[in-house]
Amino acid sequence: MKINVYGSGLSAWVAAACLARVGNDVVICEGSQGKDKPLNKIAVICDELGLLHELEQQIDSGRLTRSAYMPAPVAGIHWVALESSEQETVVQIVRGLQEGEQSDVLIINQCNFMVGATAELQSLLADKGDVVYIPDNLQEGVALQGFSQPVRIILGLDRDHALIKIRAVLRPFSTRLDALQLMSSREAEFTKFAITGMLAIRLGYVNELANLADRLGVDISVVQEGMGADPRIGPHYLSAGCGFGGQNFHSYISRFSGIFQEERQQSLLKRVIDENEVQKELLFRKLWQHFNGKLAGKVIAFWGASFKPGTASIDNAPSLKIIDALISQGACVNVHDPEAMINLKEHYGEESLITYCETAMSAAEEADALLLVTEWSLYWSPDYQKLSETMREPLVIDGRNIFDKEMMLENGFTYLGVGR
Amino acid sequence: MNSRNIKAWAALQAHAESLRDTHLKDLFQLDGNRFDELSVSTGRFLLDFSKQRVTGKTLSQLICLAEQQELRLWIEKLFTGEKVNDSEQRPALHTALRSPHDDPLQVNTQNVTEDVHCSLAKMERLVEQVQYGQWRGFDGSPIKSVVNIGVGGSNLGPLMVCDALSQYASSPLCRLDVNFVSSMDGSELEKLLPTLEPATTLFIISSKTFSTIDTLANANTAREWLLKASGEPIDAINRHHFIAVTGNPKAALKWGVAEDNQLLFWDWVGGRYSLWSVIGLPIALKIGMEGFRAMLKGAHAMDVHFRNTDFDKNLPVLLGLIGVWNVNFLNIHAHAILPYDGRLAQLPSFLEQLEMESNGKSINRDGKRLNYRTCPVLWGEVGSNAQHAFYQLLHQGTEPVMCDFITAAKRYESEGEELQKQHQLSLANCLAQSRLLALGDSAVASEQDASCYQHYDGNQPSTTIVMNELTPESLGGLIALYEHKVFVQSVIWEINPFDQWGVEQGKNVALSLLAELDALSDDGLDASTKGLISYVQQCCKENEPHEN
Repeated sequence: MKINVYGSGLSAWVAAACLARVGNDVVICEGSQGKDKPLNKIAVICDELGLLHELEQQIDSGRLTRSAYMPAPVAGIHWVALESSEQETVVQIVRGLQEGEQSDVLIINQCNFMVGATAELQSLLADKGDVVYIPDNLQEGVALQGFSQPVRIILGLDRDHALIKIRAVLRPFSTRLDALQLMSSREAEFTKFAITGMLAIRLGYVNELANLADRLGVDISVVQEGMGADPRIGPHYLSAGCGFGGQNFHSYISRFSGIFQEERQQSLLKRVIDENEVQKELLFRKLWQHFNGKLAGKVIAFWGASFKPGTASIDNAPSLKIIDALISQGACVNVHDPEAMINLKEHYGEESLITYCETAMSAAEEADALLLVTEWSLYWSPDYQKLSETMREPLVIDGRNIFDKEMMLENGFTYLGVGR
Repeated sequence: MNSRNIKAWAALQAHAESLRDTHLKDLFQLDGNRFDELSVSTGRFLLDFSKQRVTGKTLSQLICLAEQQELRLWIEKLFTGEKVNDSEQRPALHTALRSPHDDPLQVNTQNVTEDVHCSLAKMERLVEQVQYGQWRGFDGSPIKSVVNIGVGGSNLGPLMVCDALSQYASSPLCRLDVNFVSSMDGSELEKLLPTLEPATTLFIISSKTFSTIDTLANANTAREWLLKASGEPIDAINRHHFIAVTGNPKAALKWGVAEDNQLLFWDWVGGRYSLWSVIGLPIALKIGMEGFRAMLKGAHAMDVHFRNTDFDKNLPVLLGLIGVWNVNFLNIHAHAILPYDGRLAQLPSFLEQLEMESNGKSINRDGKRLNYRTCPVLWGEVGSNAQHAFYQLLHQGTEPVMCDFITAAKRYESEGEELQKQHQLSLANCLAQSRLLALGDSAVASEQDASCYQHYDGNQPSTTIVMNELTPESLGGLIALYEHKVFVQSVIWEINPFDQWGVEQGKNVALSLLAELDALSDDGLDASTKGLISYVQQCCKENEPHEN
């Protein structure tokens, strides 16, 4: 099938790669500025593990080509995955299709606009074809797998006519599919918001529990297991930590919270977002309390800076807030991250208080404290002996609760987790 | 001055006599161009004196008086750092506080401008740290609330400006909740503290001498609250929760505020002239340094105007001289400040201090008792509220009162239609009231057959000050306008407006009475005070639990 994919964000690149890999002729329409930039210079591609390689393969094979938004090449299927701020561009694309020669087009809208946006696009397209909505379930770090082997797809469509064609598009990705849930586009849009908001609230609640556990001397990881075993709750999204980040997650829930706030002043979700910002500074507060507010001149090692493992992205990452706070206090920061160093250097430039370290162990050298901020797998099992020897003071603050507390204490570390 | 020896004074007395029976409505009838002749505008302000009981001749005679009193010379003394505060042997350099960096002022060997800008830079660093959420409370949380503890000049100015300019508050990301407490009895703190989170609250102790008992009492209460809530040692609380704004670093250090947390100013900044200095910290925290600097800029523009403009077009000079005319020649000793703008609700309190603490004096610079009146009694209120309170007295009472009507021409331009209508309504009331006060019944043509109790005499003089709009810059200019007006009057009256010996003695007497409240001794107290103390003691006893 001939498919145009619109957008220059991670969702668009992942869709283009996966759709091309299964044999479609895909043109990715990146807007007028992007299309001449080498792939390996595009941050969202480099930040997602495996994506650059996949895209290069598809371009080599000739199934994937790059273009501008307009004039869009003739195609029957249009996969629209622009940023939520680009609604006006999407309207123009749809208007172009409405005025174009091709009839019976299928537009798959993956953009996260307001509830009702897909229906509005449908009325713009009129009788030139169908607009359906498939929520973007992108999970940064595992985006390719998430797209090509979904377990569940929600499909928002208002006219049954589109169903045959959309099934055909999705067929190669249906091997592990348990459920294709059909609903109206408005319901699908709302569902997408509702899921994201629910996850945020869950995380916010767990973090609140963890902070209380800290004060009451209870280990939250034990509590988590107990909660997760209850089938009404389940084990996912129950890990306490130093706040959630990421461009997508953050912008989704902020938008959803915005809808609530149009209705009333304060919403549960708004509170969760605000508290999450506070939670991002948790490790800083633990340091502050440990050192009685005297952080000037202290050397603080960071293990991990990206907002989660598997991505180089530092968008809304807790690490940024902690680094900002430490620099303000005149502390020195030694940071290591297996992927995010380039982004960090770009963000902070030549800041004299920050040292960018080649290895995890070199970051910990002569450090007064080690902060585990992102749970990259290479950090899970360090050489405790060596770590303890290399640090000036063996203080470990574990923002993701990945270390065995007993083991840490046995090796002479002062260990602080989140809620344990 | 012995007023009898000043030629211009006698001329003004004769002139006043000749105008005595001329009603304001007659003055308007006699001269159709009255507004053009008796109003002055700069780019940002319009002052309308045409509703004052003056003529062109009055103004020229007043200007003669100013010249005979060497006002021009005194203005130069003020600006160049001469010791115009002679009883305390120091200059009064509030104008230097808002002078641009490239306009250096040398006083003795000191480059005052350089000092001022260093101090502003230190304040700026602190403001940024707090606004960006990088000033931390005892548990490492960023500060969200600020409480200014100060009284008099360390309270009224910053409070008035913060209130007036709250629409210019910094962007939501770095917006702080700024509060003020002043009262000695702790009433404000008692109400405020339960609404605050200890870990995120920063206190500013604002006191030039760092010995003001009102302020230290409040500071001690605040510190006790923090100690209790945090369980932290006192030095951590001092370090993370207190900033001292003072001219006495030693006393601040002794109380517990270390040098890093001190913002200092100089003895040549008078308390009621100090909001331009680091005393303005709460203003800068509220509206940001950019807004604070805009306010300084507006005040500086007024300084330049005051220093360089001919007296007949000089706003502070005219405002001051007309005040003198009203007090000394028309025998008006009450002055109402009537802002028709709720944002200026605190302006009357601020001006009460500025004018009455400055010019409430009865001896001249040579220590001789004056044979003429000085500062009138000032009070005021948002005009539209005062209409339902004390305007009755203005319209139909027996006291002559001069009024200042203050308003902004533009407001709510990007707001809803109803709010814009409210602004129009307020403007209409402002103009209507000054008109009725001036013209009396003749302002209302159809009321001629009214009963005697519906009768309005009119002839109450007023000045109307119109700002184009209320901004940090125009407010800076407005405050400087009044500061200089006060100075002009002090020069005419030959008094020192920069000291305040009359507020010192009360503090001493209170200290000596403090002990008496616990155990009354008979030594030398008057009967009234003794009676009051024993009544209070009796009341307290009755509330104590009885032991059987």
